Amino acid sequence: MSAALSRSRRALRAAAALTAAALSATLLAGCGSDDEDPAGAGKTVDITFWGWAKGTKEVVDAFNASHKDVHVTYEEIPSGAAGGYAKLSNAVKAGNAPDVFNVEYPQLPDFVSQGAVKDIGEYVDADLKAKYLPQAVQLTTLGGATYALPLDAAPQVFYYRKDLFAKAGIKTPPRTWDEFHSAAGKLRKAEPGARIATFFPDDPTTFEAMAWQAGAQWFGTSGDSWQVSLNGPETAKVAGYWQKMIDDDLVRVEPSFSQQWTASLQKGQTAGYLGASWGGGVLKGTLPDQAGKWAVAPLPSWNGDAAGGMLGGSTFAVSKDSKKAKAAVEFATWATTTPEGIEARISAGNSSAYPADPDLVPVAAKAFKADFYGGQDVYGVYGSAAKSIGQKWTWGPAMGVTNTSLKDSFGRLSSGSGTIAQALASAQKDTVAELKNRGLKVSAR
Amino acid sequence: MTPTVPTTAPTAARAVSAAPSARTAAARRRRYGAPTVLLAPFFVLFTAATLVPIGYAVYLSLFTEHRSGLGFGGSETVFTGLGNYTRALGDGAFRGGFRNLAQYCLLYIPLMMCLALVLALLLDSALVRARRFFQLALFLPHAVPGTIAALVWVYLYTPGISPVIGALNSAGAGADLLGHPLPAVVNMAVWEWTGYNMVIFFAALQAIPREVLEAARVDGAGPLRTALSIKVPLIRSSLTVVGLFTVIGSLQLFTEPMILHGTTPSVVSTWSPNMYAYTAAFERHDYGLAAASSVLLALAAAALSFVVTRATRTRSGRTRPQTETGAVA
Repeated sequence: MSAALSRSRRALRAAAALTAAALSATLLAGCGSDDEDPAGAGKTVDITFWGWAKGTKEVVDAFNASHKDVHVTYEEIPSGAAGGYAKLSNAVKAGNAPDVFNVEYPQLPDFVSQGAVKDIGEYVDADLKAKYLPQAVQLTTLGGATYALPLDAAPQVFYYRKDLFAKAGIKTPPRTWDEFHSAAGKLRKAEPGARIATFFPDDPTTFEAMAWQAGAQWFGTSGDSWQVSLNGPETAKVAGYWQKMIDDDLVRVEPSFSQQWTASLQKGQTAGYLGASWGGGVLKGTLPDQAGKWAVAPLPSWNGDAAGGMLGGSTFAVSKDSKKAKAAVEFATWATTTPEGIEARISAGNSSAYPADPDLVPVAAKAFKADFYGGQDVYGVYGSAAKSIGQKWTWGPAMGVTNTSLKDSFGRLSSGSGTIAQALASAQKDTVAELKNRGLKVSAR
Repeated sequence: MTPTVPTTAPTAARAVSAAPSARTAAARRRRYGAPTVLLAPFFVLFTAATLVPIGYAVYLSLFTEHRSGLGFGGSETVFTGLGNYTRALGDGAFRGGFRNLAQYCLLYIPLMMCLALVLALLLDSALVRARRFFQLALFLPHAVPGTIAALVWVYLYTPGISPVIGALNSAGAGADLLGHPLPAVVNMAVWEWTGYNMVIFFAALQAIPREVLEAARVDGAGPLRTALSIKVPLIRSSLTVVGLFTVIGSLQLFTEPMILHGTTPSVVSTWSPNMYAYTAAFERHDYGLAAASSVLLALAAAALSFVVTRATRTRSGRTRPQTETGAVA
């Protein structure tokens, strides 16, 4: 017993020594890069970049190959929700954050509020801003200051299996949510194991995009105080609809991108996916055997008119302590607004990002191989969806708390011990409490 | 789950207090020179890797980030005293984590202990052939790193891909382990720790004087009677130690539920107190709250460690004479 214990203690001590060594090595490396003079004329400025989006490595390689003044060192981190944000906020806290990093729209205000992001207004002129989709610019402008450059707009669309829909006698993809409901019923009738889509309990952003589509406005500002309204009538309508879909057993309740979800797609038991534009590449990469069987349709809407919300979507933000903001913005500008930058990303394989700079859409459309969608003009569908993204939406300053609260309550949905409405009520309560705790003002709408 | 905390502190304390006073400085130097040099690396690392982080966590737990207006103007760090502690204790999710932990302990500890004891008794009995093989086979799960074990189990739990769930479903017994986190986590822990603790029990059983067992046999005790009336009482101190160390180890519960959390949202982000601290730090960006909840957890562990050392000391003090009498009889 004691031998086993002391052995494990010894192992622990060895591990501690190794960790200490690794830490000091990182610290030394950190010091080294800080000493460089960013202003030195003619010298290459070295910047560090953390991201995870598909095709990012190719973008960095293309940038480095074509630029003498700035060199980007890319480090791939896990995707935000899978631990990337934890790594980032840890690095910010420890003072060794990268110069530039990817952050999705919903999390941007949270990072700004943490003091992790630099106001890059002085490097971003009106011409540059005018290049991007107005909705994307609005989401990166907080309290009147510019905090990030948008990479992609992420309109939500509906991906579906053409063959399974045809077998169930559904000729055209559903245009309204009512049609979506009846299509779900037909699909299950034709094949009892098949469901039209999945409600992702682990990913509230999908639900948020649909609330956004319905015209909800979860967050707003008035003067210097926040208004929080997860309990408005539009949100309640969406919540009621999805609660019914779940109660009627017309959709699956499974985590997004989980083994379960993938398995049910592979077996043809899930015939649709309410995903963002970038999800098109994910499907293509996940289900290579089903090439040609999928198609893209606009998101069903409440009244049949095109309307949509945004599901994720990435931006380039510069960290607060970076001394090389100018170089970082130069790289971010290149990556988001030049044909070369977009082409490198899309032609790398499985990215179907919809550029936030509409001028580059043809470049992306040409670079994306749409054989998985039977050669369909997927970027045409993305394009009209992007135009219809609601303009009133703002992300809150504590989406980490809001989403964690929603996720924890959505987790009870599959066992039937909770409802979407309850989840929204507790998320509203948790969000307001967190905002007040941080010293922010919250006012009633 | 390795119970390092409770063992290091008493060892260090004993090393210091057990030193007898030396007369001269030279003698003292002779006496302490080598131990000092040999112990220094440990204390340096102990300070750098344990004491300093603990101190920093306590320091962090007394502060909070305060912003004003919309919050985009940056934040300032303000002293809140015990504010973070009251916030953690007042949070139902944090208390819920301790409730989950208590349920976990109630289910896991008796189950694992009984299983380990039964297996050890079987190995110790004459019934088993290939003793070395079984010893190794049963210990093997413990050699698998916890994260990997958890991933393997998650695979086995997931409907649609798990052959086990598939077989159960086709047999008509639908099992939804992902919807019931408690048995799912307990099962992983039992699988991982039974073999390890079995080895400890088995070693204790092997140390029982053979004369005692022979005496029992002469008195007419069968194998079952010998096991229950002779062997189990004689290894009671091992049972106590393993039991209490397991309680303390359970306080650190993190890996298994965290990996389940990534697969099924029915394991909430605050399922165990350790997960609460993780979520506070990395999803809520609230380092003060994370530090406060970690300190509270550490205090709970310290309190239990105290109970452990106390209980084992009196326990072994009481059982040793019994062993001796038994041996003489």
